[in-house]
Amino acid sequence: METAIKVENISKSYTLGTTKDNTFRHHISSLHKKTNVLNTFWALKEISFNVNKGEIIGIIGKNGAGKSTLLKILSQITKPSSGKIELNGRVASLLEVGTGFHPELTGRENIFLNGTILGMRRAEIVTKFDEIVAFSGVEKFLDTPVKHYSSGMYVRLAFAVAAHLEPEILIIDEVLAVGDSEFQKKCLGKMSEVANSGRTVLFVSHNMQAVSALTNKCILLENGMVEYYGDTNAAIQKYLCNSNDVYVNSKTPDHPYIKRVEIQSSESENIQQVNKPLTIAFDIETNRLLKGAAVSFQIVDNEGTPITHVLNIDSEVPFCNEIGVFKLKCTFPKLRLYPGKYSLTVYFAELSSKNHFETLENICPFEVIILNEIRDYYWIPNHARYIDDYHWSLLS
Amino acid sequence: MPNHHKIIDASRSSIIPDFKELYRYKDLFITLTWRDFKVRYAQTIIGFLWALLQPVVTLFILALVFGNFIGVNTGVPYLLFAMTGLTIWSYFSFVMTNAGSSIIASQGMIKKIYFPRLIIPLSKAAVGLIDLSISLVLMIILLFYYGIIPSSNVWLAPVFLFFGMLAALAVGIWLSALTVRFRDFQHVVPFMVQIGLYITPIAYPADFAMQHLPKWAATIYYLNPIAGVVQGFRWSIFGGEAPGYLMYVSFVMILFLFISGLFYFKKVEGDMADYV
Repeated sequence: METAIKVENISKSYTLGTTKDNTFRHHISSLHKKTNVLNTFWALKEISFNVNKGEIIGIIGKNGAGKSTLLKILSQITKPSSGKIELNGRVASLLEVGTGFHPELTGRENIFLNGTILGMRRAEIVTKFDEIVAFSGVEKFLDTPVKHYSSGMYVRLAFAVAAHLEPEILIIDEVLAVGDSEFQKKCLGKMSEVANSGRTVLFVSHNMQAVSALTNKCILLENGMVEYYGDTNAAIQKYLCNSNDVYVNSKTPDHPYIKRVEIQSSESENIQQVNKPLTIAFDIETNRLLKGAAVSFQIVDNEGTPITHVLNIDSEVPFCNEIGVFKLKCTFPKLRLYPGKYSLTVYFAELSSKNHFETLENICPFEVIILNEIRDYYWIPNHARYIDDYHWSLLS
Repeated sequence: MPNHHKIIDASRSSIIPDFKELYRYKDLFITLTWRDFKVRYAQTIIGFLWALLQPVVTLFILALVFGNFIGVNTGVPYLLFAMTGLTIWSYFSFVMTNAGSSIIASQGMIKKIYFPRLIIPLSKAAVGLIDLSISLVLMIILLFYYGIIPSSNVWLAPVFLFFGMLAALAVGIWLSALTVRFRDFQHVVPFMVQIGLYITPIAYPADFAMQHLPKWAATIYYLNPIAGVVQGFRWSIFGGEAPGYLMYVSFVMILFLFISGLFYFKKVEGDMADYV
């Protein structure tokens, strides 16, 4: 089978620092120093893989695993620090929809603008113009500046242009996370059409549903390395199972960090009953005084959609106002999540300095069940996200 | 469809600009130029008139201060004299300002999609050609108005114009690449534009400067790439004594800046997305 993409030992490092590094003064003063103490961060470490022609590969991993960096390197937006890549075929990358859209220009003008930016020739756009317009569904507003568009129309037009790219290798990042569900369906349809036409597709997403629907093989990235490359279902399984029931950070980083997160569910083994209290306990350790420490978390469903977001700033419940370990807990007196599988995404930051210390994704998985009311035809998993008290009555 | 085969190798990075690839992206160049042109004039009330108003107002200010107050002796009507200098200077300063900040201004695109980054400053230089044409028309109208017949050297005028464009592009490319790494240049450019108006023979003849400057300073004067172009352009229209050999310092400078600019740009192009 012919190889479309061959990646050999790709690494990418970034130098961490403040924006001051960008000034001339910094550059000049760093010329004097013999040893330049630089804070290097490896976003990707010796990644290698092959993709055959016509394959559709999903790329999954937590935030910061290196997905975006990998896409940027494959689409030539940035150079790798070391390693080699071979690309066989015309590459188009779609890291966002509507790149280069100008608000002052009309829909028609933006189709040409965006199309050429994505690498289409003008003649190509002219031939596909009617198709693009029909797909977008904004015919009536073609000659209106896009600044007057609703965000939905804007996205539809942008995706319509992107959907008509015909490269041999297509690189896509999360563009499906936009638009209403109707339009998302249309996009998914278009994507599988592209996929079935024998083109090579690399698809990055947090949406496991979409990944499993579109791809047969997946690359699971973790800390800048390929953790797994193979069957999609196995990759998703690994991705979801990578987190333990209790999150513990046994390393001691040199910044304030979250030491431990635990779900205290109503039943054992992280099983939670609907309408019963659920407690989430945090141990946070700080090596310095924080001003405006903030910890927040989202409850995320098994497709990666956040259901609720809860925030605590130290003005409400003071913490991290001295050095040491702080134990916080958050209780939902009556958990109203629909039966299904959920996990947490936890954020820890200092508001005054805008320091973002940590994002812990996909930790502490738990399952919500209903024990008392057993109605097979009713509690279908994933039919809803939220459940509330209700009361039916017959009026006449 | 041609067989696209691309190898990205971190250990072997080329510093030679890829002109073939640049040509493949000509449609993008055209579209970006057209976008800038459209956005520049579409939303303003008097639209195109701005392109006319700017040189006219500057011209009258120069005529008032240097022609009337100071009474600089130029040999030809002062308005026309200043217009010849201003035509080239306006284009040069336009490209310097717009191309210089162009990469930063397009960071949304640069971070999300690949294309030869050189397209961006190039398209800015192309947009400026519209204003340049308007200035040239204005200059020709003044020539008719004063009934001045261009000298026999006038066939050289396009050559000087070409060098003027090359100079603008050279400086524009350098500044666009430098501004990405060193934001300081955002502050340097307006300063350069302001100083440039005085250290270039726009409002006064170059001979003036030569009379008042010692020999060593005269050479430095012509290190300003646009100085020689303005003087040459003027000579091609009004004739008279041929400019001294020092003028060629400017032309050497232009070629040097242009070629080195292309190489420097190519060198930093690869990780522009990481810096903007």
